[in-house]
Amino acid sequence: MPLSKAPEPQLHDQRKSEENNHHKKRRFSGSNQVPPSHHTPASKKSRQDDSSPEMTDSQKRANFSALTSPSNGLNKHASQLVTNKPGTTKKLVIKNFKEKPKLPENYQQQTWLMLKEAVEAIHKKCSIKSSLEELYKAVENMCSHKMSATLYENLKTVCEDHVRDNIHQFLGETMDSGQFLKLMDTCWQAHCEQMIMIRSIFLFLDRTYVLQNSTIASIWDMGLELFRVYIISNTLVQTRTVDGLLMLIERERNGEAVDRLLLKSLLRMLSDLQIYQEAFEVKFLAATDRLYCAEGQKLMHEREVPEYLSHVDKRLNEETERLYHYLDQSTRKSLVTCVEKNLLEHHLTAILQKGLDMLLEQNRIQDLTLMYQLFSRVKDGLKELYVACASYIKKSGKMIVINPDNDPDKDRDMVQSLLDFKDRIDNIVAVCFAKNEKFVNAVKEAFETFINQRQNKPAEFIAKYVDSKLRAGNKEATEEELERLLDKIMVLFRFIHGKDVFEAFYKKDLAKRLLVGKSASVDAEKSMLSKLKQECGGGFTSKLEGMFKDMELSKDIMLAFRQHTSNLDVPGSIDLNVNILTMGYWPTYTPMEVHLPTEMVKYQEIFTKFYLGKHSGRKLQWQSTLGHCVLRATFAGGDKELQVSLFQTLCLLMFNEGHVFSFEEIKQATAIEDGELKRTLQSLACGRARVLIKSPKSKDVDAGDKFKFNNEFKHKLFRIKINQIQMKETQEENVSTTERVFQDRQYQVDAAIVRIMKTRKLLSHNLLITELYNQLKFPVKPSDLKKRIESLIDRDYMMRDKDNPNQYHYVA
Amino acid sequence: MPPRRRRRSPSGEDSKTKRARVGQSTKQHKIQRPLAEYSLPFNGKKCISWFHEYTGPDEDTIAPEGMEKFCEDIGVEPENIVMLSLAWKLDAKNMGFFTLAEWLKGMSDLQCDNVEKLQQKLDYLRGLLEDHVVFKTIYRYAFDFARDKDQRSIDIETAKAMLGLLLGKKWPMFGMFNQFLEQSKYKVMNKDQWCNVLEFSRTIKPDLSNYDEDGAWPVLLDEFVEWTREQQQQSMG
Repeated sequence: MPLSKAPEPQLHDQRKSEENNHHKKRRFSGSNQVPPSHHTPASKKSRQDDSSPEMTDSQKRANFSALTSPSNGLNKHASQLVTNKPGTTKKLVIKNFKEKPKLPENYQQQTWLMLKEAVEAIHKKCSIKSSLEELYKAVENMCSHKMSATLYENLKTVCEDHVRDNIHQFLGETMDSGQFLKLMDTCWQAHCEQMIMIRSIFLFLDRTYVLQNSTIASIWDMGLELFRVYIISNTLVQTRTVDGLLMLIERERNGEAVDRLLLKSLLRMLSDLQIYQEAFEVKFLAATDRLYCAEGQKLMHEREVPEYLSHVDKRLNEETERLYHYLDQSTRKSLVTCVEKNLLEHHLTAILQKGLDMLLEQNRIQDLTLMYQLFSRVKDGLKELYVACASYIKKSGKMIVINPDNDPDKDRDMVQSLLDFKDRIDNIVAVCFAKNEKFVNAVKEAFETFINQRQNKPAEFIAKYVDSKLRAGNKEATEEELERLLDKIMVLFRFIHGKDVFEAFYKKDLAKRLLVGKSASVDAEKSMLSKLKQECGGGFTSKLEGMFKDMELSKDIMLAFRQHTSNLDVPGSIDLNVNILTMGYWPTYTPMEVHLPTEMVKYQEIFTKFYLGKHSGRKLQWQSTLGHCVLRATFAGGDKELQVSLFQTLCLLMFNEGHVFSFEEIKQATAIEDGELKRTLQSLACGRARVLIKSPKSKDVDAGDKFKFNNEFKHKLFRIKINQIQMKETQEENVSTTERVFQDRQYQVDAAIVRIMKTRKLLSHNLLITELYNQLKFPVKPSDLKKRIESLIDRDYMMRDKDNPNQYHYVA
Repeated sequence: MPPRRRRRSPSGEDSKTKRARVGQSTKQHKIQRPLAEYSLPFNGKKCISWFHEYTGPDEDTIAPEGMEKFCEDIGVEPENIVMLSLAWKLDAKNMGFFTLAEWLKGMSDLQCDNVEKLQQKLDYLRGLLEDHVVFKTIYRYAFDFARDKDQRSIDIETAKAMLGLLLGKKWPMFGMFNQFLEQSKYKVMNKDQWCNVLEFSRTIKPDLSNYDEDGAWPVLLDEFVEWTREQQQQSMG
């Protein structure tokens, strides 16, 4: 069983170390235990082995006593011990031989001749004449008679001659490298087998003489040394071997199947000969480097990124296989690094530039996962990857957010697109990027950057999006789905810098939902509110909460009012519902004076009296713009209920008195402002449900138009809701809401400046600006801050230092 | 000082008063004074009667008409900057007016009780304007002096005229600044802006190379710099 055929390369090392252990045992404990037998080459030998240590021991002891006997001190000592024991009187005396036993003459030469014959027979691979036991004994005897050194030298010479002769077969010019390698392999295998056999015969020599002299190599090592010196150190042989190996590997890299066992055996040989590193590894790595450097450059150019990446992955796997099958493990690190460096590290930027955006765009989960895995192998790979991802997110996000043509469709879809985009990116981070914290943060940062690149609008659209989801009639989502959606929206909301814009629009929409009773579910509203509160604190939501409270209080008040009115004689059959809105909680509405029918006025008075009776000192202001009514109308086709706004009501009620009215007449009677009246009449006469007929017919209302009651009105429903036409109104509202936000911001800036100056008394301009940016939670331009500072200087809240214009003083 | 005339009297009246003044002054010139009078010590009574040469008998304020005559007597145009220096010395509150109290206090500080003595002091008053520190004080004073007392700021025309008077010769960029104000939407200038214009004229090089946009300069000056750079670029391109 040749040693180098051991299935696992480690076994070789193990054996060595055990040999060392064994060595120690022998030296220090002098134990006569049988050494583990696995280093003995054949079982046949092991039987001999079993007996040999005992023999060695006994001989050693004999020698020892022979040496010490003349002084006899030990014996005396022993006898003393004996005499101490009572009842023992006999003495045992051991005497030396009278004559020393002699070796026959020529013993050395004869024995060596026998041994030499045997060794030569082994070398020539023919049968050995003498029995192995005899040979073993011969070695043992020679060693016992201090002939070890000579024996070792002789053995070495014989082996040397043999190995030296072996070189010739490798010097032939005509061999092709495959043949050469096979020949080398055969020669090496034979050498190993022979050396094992020789070692077994000369085991005693190996175990005594060699072990006792640290400078002398064991027989096995001597064999290796000889092979190294005479065969492999030959430049021609070595180059041919190594080149042959490299060529085989290259062929395998090019996809051919090669004899891996041959490779493995020869590489094992090189490591056994301890020239693996210098003779092979260096050249191998250089070749690898060259190959992959060229391949990287070529394929980067030729292939699409996903294909390139899978190629890199394939290459890495192949090299790992190579390590597993035949390369020495010590090469692992440098080989893998070499591949990573040439195929990945050098091309990081190029890969990212060329392919990342496309992969992200097309949501190529598998390719991205592979990219993440590969990039995580090289230094700074992940960093480059997440930086590139962030820049992609910024770029694509900006496309969603920025709307240069102010295309309303795009704006309307913005939030949905943002949510989809966020979902997609989150999914990629979770699946492909292993939820790496760096990536999560990069994504956050990128979203925050792009979403704020357009001021205020995203906040506004998010508010409106929430409104659309919370409004009644939105049947597309179950409660859990809605809840999840709100959570997602909160994530977007978190990125927004101008949260006050959001609040303003959200408040406006919330007011509408509450007043018109259009809120989809109170639970959803409350949940959204608590989310906002969690995110921005109680100060942010106190007004919104106030609105809810107002609605609840109003219900109670209405209950009390109904009781109150039941005892009174109330004119007409109107049912009045009033919502009391606390000023400041609700958006500001411009009051509009209109002429109400007397019944309504009367009713309002009753309520006012009732309310002020309960809460004296308060002021009630009726907001006619927010009112809405349900009217019963009688058409030729039957009775209908019309759900309309207060303004629509006023117009419609006129037709109780007459049949045709001109625009002017209606305007006179109702005192509704021009634009508002036009929109109102438009909704009644030009909308879907045309309860009035306008002449001349057209889409828009003009001052000269006339209106007639449409007695023929038909509708499949009993209760019909006629919407106010809102287009223009929202735009105005929008502008005013935004303006109000900006005004609020000015006050906040002023307050912050004064607050800072009050504590600091004296502060330089730059420090003040820095401090302001720390305190203010919405985006402001430095020039806006400067304007506020100047305004405060002008209003004597602070002053500029007389000598240093960069310093401000607080003016108490 | 043109702003005074413009504000106090519309142009129609202006020409009338001018004519009237010419008549008056020829009469006054007939009054002879001894030549050595300026060497006499300061006399309060004389000073008061000198004051009344420019007012009605019982008035205690020199009005614009009297002021023009006064200017003519001491041989200085009303627009001359030395008048501002004098007004500052007198601590006059309103442009175009000297009250008796201001007059007495200021003239006694200057030790002047007649025209000749004051004429001798004119060089000293001019000298004050050359002093870096005093000039700054006078510059700041000029804002309140020219200001309508019921306003916090001065209107832009007054500001331009006053700046022309104070900085017109000292500040190479004044022409540009004037042009900038012409085309800007600013209607008034507040004290902070006013004071910073002087700082600006003193510290910022005409090529604006040392202007710091992040500094504390009022937005007015930021805009001026931006505008000037645009102009320069246009003229270069």
